Amino acid sequence: MAVQLFGAIDVGSYEIALTISECSKKKGIRVIDRVSHRINLGSDTFLTGKISYEHVAELKKLLSEYRAIMDNYGVKEYKACGTSAIREMVNASIVLDEIEQQTGIRIEVLSNSEQRFLDYKSIAARTESFSHIIEKGTAIVDIGGSSIQLSLFDEDRLVITENMKLGVLRLNDQMKLIDAGSTHRDYVIEELINSQLKVFQHLYLKQRAVRNLIIVDDYVSPLLQNRLAAGGEPGVVDTRAFLHFMENVRSQSRQEMAKQLGIADDNLPLLYVSGMLIQCIIRALNCEMLWAPGVTLCDGIIYDYAVQNRFIEPAHDFDEDIVACAKNIAQRYLSLPDRGAAMENISLQIFDETKKYHGLGARERLLLRIAALLHDCGKYISMVNSGGCAYDIIMSTEIIGLSHIEREIVANVVKYNHSTFEYFGSARIKTDLDKDDYIVIAKLTAILRIANGLERSHMQKCDDIRIAVRDGRLVITMNTNQDLTMEIGLFRNRADFFEEIFGIRPVIRQKKQ
Amino acid sequence: MAAKETEAERKIDFSDPKYYINRELSWLQFNERVLDEARRRDNRLFERLKFLSITSSNLDEFFMVRVASLKDMENADYRKTDIAGMTVTEQLAAVLASTHDFVDKQYSVYNRSLVPALEQDAGVKICRYEELSAEEEAFVNDYYETEIYPVLTPMAVDSSRPFPLILNKTLNLGALLRRRNSAGQGILLRQKRKKVEENAEEDLDFATVQVPSGLPRYKVMPQKDGAPIHVIFLEDIIRHNMPKLFLNYDVVCASPFRLMRNADLSIDEDEAEDLLKEIEKQLKRRQWGQAIRLEVEQGIDERLLKILVNELRLQENEIFRIDGPLDLTFLMKLYGLEGFDAFREHRYAPPQSVPEIPAGSDIFECIRRGDVFMHHPYESFQPVVNFVAQAATDPDVLAIKQTLYRVSGNSPIIAALARAAENGKQVMVLVELKARFDEEHNIGWAKMLEKAGCHVIYGLVGLKTHSKITLVVRREEDGIRRYVHLATGNYNDSTAKLYTDVGLFTCKESFGEDATAVFNMLSGYSEPRTWNKLTLAPLWLKDRFLYLIAREQDHAGAGEAAHIIAKMNSLCDPEVMEALYRASAAGVKIELIVRGICCLRTGIPGVSENITVRSIVGNFLEHSRIFYFENGGRPEYYASSADWMPRNLDRRVEIMFPLEDEDIRAKAMHILLTELADTEQAQVMNAEGIYERVDRRGKAIVNSQLQFCNEQVEAAKQAAQANTRVFQPEKAPEDR
Repeated sequence: MAVQLFGAIDVGSYEIALTISECSKKKGIRVIDRVSHRINLGSDTFLTGKISYEHVAELKKLLSEYRAIMDNYGVKEYKACGTSAIREMVNASIVLDEIEQQTGIRIEVLSNSEQRFLDYKSIAARTESFSHIIEKGTAIVDIGGSSIQLSLFDEDRLVITENMKLGVLRLNDQMKLIDAGSTHRDYVIEELINSQLKVFQHLYLKQRAVRNLIIVDDYVSPLLQNRLAAGGEPGVVDTRAFLHFMENVRSQSRQEMAKQLGIADDNLPLLYVSGMLIQCIIRALNCEMLWAPGVTLCDGIIYDYAVQNRFIEPAHDFDEDIVACAKNIAQRYLSLPDRGAAMENISLQIFDETKKYHGLGARERLLLRIAALLHDCGKYISMVNSGGCAYDIIMSTEIIGLSHIEREIVANVVKYNHSTFEYFGSARIKTDLDKDDYIVIAKLTAILRIANGLERSHMQKCDDIRIAVRDGRLVITMNTNQDLTMEIGLFRNRADFFEEIFGIRPVIRQKKQ
Repeated sequence: MAAKETEAERKIDFSDPKYYINRELSWLQFNERVLDEARRRDNRLFERLKFLSITSSNLDEFFMVRVASLKDMENADYRKTDIAGMTVTEQLAAVLASTHDFVDKQYSVYNRSLVPALEQDAGVKICRYEELSAEEEAFVNDYYETEIYPVLTPMAVDSSRPFPLILNKTLNLGALLRRRNSAGQGILLRQKRKKVEENAEEDLDFATVQVPSGLPRYKVMPQKDGAPIHVIFLEDIIRHNMPKLFLNYDVVCASPFRLMRNADLSIDEDEAEDLLKEIEKQLKRRQWGQAIRLEVEQGIDERLLKILVNELRLQENEIFRIDGPLDLTFLMKLYGLEGFDAFREHRYAPPQSVPEIPAGSDIFECIRRGDVFMHHPYESFQPVVNFVAQAATDPDVLAIKQTLYRVSGNSPIIAALARAAENGKQVMVLVELKARFDEEHNIGWAKMLEKAGCHVIYGLVGLKTHSKITLVVRREEDGIRRYVHLATGNYNDSTAKLYTDVGLFTCKESFGEDATAVFNMLSGYSEPRTWNKLTLAPLWLKDRFLYLIAREQDHAGAGEAAHIIAKMNSLCDPEVMEALYRASAAGVKIELIVRGICCLRTGIPGVSENITVRSIVGNFLEHSRIFYFENGGRPEYYASSADWMPRNLDRRVEIMFPLEDEDIRAKAMHILLTELADTEQAQVMNAEGIYERVDRRGKAIVNSQLQFCNEQVEAAKQAAQANTRVFQPEKAPEDR
């Protein structure tokens, strides 16, 4: 189809947004309409764990209107995503079902990392500015209602990303509870923010210079886009100008500020919180320049859709970002980099050679890569229970770009690499994974176990391994003069599991030079 | 942009009240300029009647809204002075004094100039009852019996019947009655009786009857061949038949009177859950507003007047003794009398199409070729009607969105919108229920649109939506395309024949995105992150104007070309005027074409020497708002639905849009320059704040409105010639 209409809905913590766009190979993405409406779902969820009946009713009414708007444009394909307010609801599945039944709109709940990854993709879609900016040390702060995501770049790769419970709505609600009054307001909010930023600084910023800060938010960004930017690239501002602006914000009354900025009076508290967050990050990272590309989650959803449906070419290799992140986590937990690389290499060779047997795709290949890179991270905690510890580390660590399910798949693959595989339906398993996910885990575990078996000594005994399926067997030929007695001896268990999963038996052949 | 202040500027307080004219007095001056047109002997007689009628209806509205508002402020003991330093009491006193003078002038024109001219030149005589022939009297009395009497409701006052409600703006006859053979048994209220008795030592009763508003104000007598047409007022007929209404009474005196009440709608929108219902309720209340002006016939019986004044609680300066018929708006009906074409201006009928959109063409295709700028009423409004009508039936159109402020009685646009909804298109209409004096009318057709399936939005709480914008969303081969119409005037095909306005058709992506965002905002969704082309009030427009003016000031300071030409209906926003003074003081040449209120003074040394103000009052109501900023040689042109008034910039949803294409800018500049050159209909403000006719010496005679008409007729002729196919017969071989 030449032109495809697509609707993206973001059910956010304090705003529900719809963006309708046209996707075509000729023109790429063209946004047709943007609609948004404020519903403070986050305050409900963050306080009580549930969304009030009134807000659910309002949300249903709004989504029905959005449905009508999409129908009016003739939109057939859409994706609606819920973020933290929905994610943190205790009764999300019931409410989402009710919404789907009554509005026809199915809301998919994004994990934090998926959500941030989409935001990140929408920034990266601004190809020229993005590539230029990330050449120098750059951080991205993605400010949501519930939390913020602070990510760091190393040259052109995203290497570190951390989620902190410092969302504007959450901070604003905390400020209301503290009731600090105007004199202590700045001090208290800075304390709240800096208490978490200090840890981030300590962990990641020792030898890193961050010159640019990219911001994604709903309050400061429009100002940077429209009013504060003095010519040049839209949304780009010197951090000194921004700090000066924040001084003004603090010194003026709410009414004066609303008039001066031309914004609604009730947006000011969140603008203030967002501004204070950015100010603290600028100071903590010592940034010189701010860039607010003015992108939204909806832009990311659309970008993802357009890439998946091949309307546009990806602007950036995001898989490599995920891999870079995984490597960074491995490094943090003192995994041996050479072993990680060797495991990655062998696993992928097996994966590629056995495609016909496992039937998995590129995404699962990426998960295998990450599992290979992280397979040893649990040893940082315990040499005895490294599988269980690795599982916990992976499940507690943001890997931007992976969904919750994907992260759990990786964690399980790493765990079962070290420990006995538990079959789906086993009483010991408490998981959101379904049978299909479990089959993926089994297949990736079987491959990783083989790779681990070949790297049993951690000595990279062989850098020339050839893998081929011959006569119903997976023949692994290792060109090395080193002693492989241990590898071959301990291979049987791993080979049994592989054969159980794929129906072919792996065998090791040594070829001495 | 913060324009740099010079040393000299810092010493001047540009907000000093002495630099400003009171808004109400400025408006009264405007009405004087309309009266001047009634006075002008070079205007045709019936046109003069029309202008006099307009002054009368203008004055009614002014009292109901502005004077009423001053009264409210006085009642609330509002102490603040206005921009010209006047207190509310001072303003009221000045306005009433000025209005008394004005009314004297109105009736002087009516009695001394128009009535004699009507009789002598047009053969239309306005007769008093006593002047009727026996035959005419019989005719009139028969008319009374058959048509008038059945609809009269005489109302007397007694202890069980309190003083009746005298409806706003209605014409009434008040009478004093004496009961026959029944001394001491009158129906007059005791306390009133006392007062009357004190004065007259006589027992008289008060009664009133409303002159039916459903009947024509005057009756034309059967005309004898060649004889003048005789006309008699309805109230005169009723007055002479009054004894028939009050049997057993003698009518001691009877006199017409007319009451004006405070009619300003004040709706607490935060409290009003359903705006529609609240406005309906307020409309009913409008009848009951405080009395603010009483018009009575000169020579009214003082006893009768006293009763009215006491009952209606009026001050002396609120009583207008009129030397002639009350309520001159009847002259507009007289203007329409058949058979007097020679006494009216030839009615200009614009060519039915505009050159860029030939008749019968696909309007969307025409707009795709390039932006189309139209100057109404010189260019037809029909393309705008066609735009909505074509969209209503075009299978590729997905949605039509429009703001409606005032529409005509039988609007083809409303019909097209309803048709579009019936055809399954998404139709969203913002109906501004708060359009003053059109509220009732608007409620009616808004309900009709809802029934047809349109999504009707009844304005925004706290803001009037005055912007004029239409968006048509169409699915085309290469994707969605948006067609936008932006205008300075209402979507009213009737007034579009009388008001001068400009409009723009475009399908540029940047305008389409903004138009979509406007309707999203009006639907209650959040404002967009950025605007491409449009600037909206109340959030951004004033700042934008202040920025544009300050930028000219900076250009002047830097020795660059700095010039502002601004055409609008009214100018009274304090911040804008102060900015203009600053710019003028910095050397910016500022030429203002302001039809109505202008609170700024010209020619003040060091303050406004570089500012000129002119007002054009003509057969067409000047209504367009066009703004030109020279910007150091990189000129910018804009058109807008907003005047430079606080109500437009602070309390209304208004739109300003840029005029970008070179040919369109040239057209806009042509409009401005022609109006600046007008010597016939323009009046120029002098240093005393008084308007004077243009000194024609050494100037070419220019009547801007006439010139625009002629230009369009000429353009249409040329277009027709260009489109005419000439078939050249082939010559016979021997002739070759």
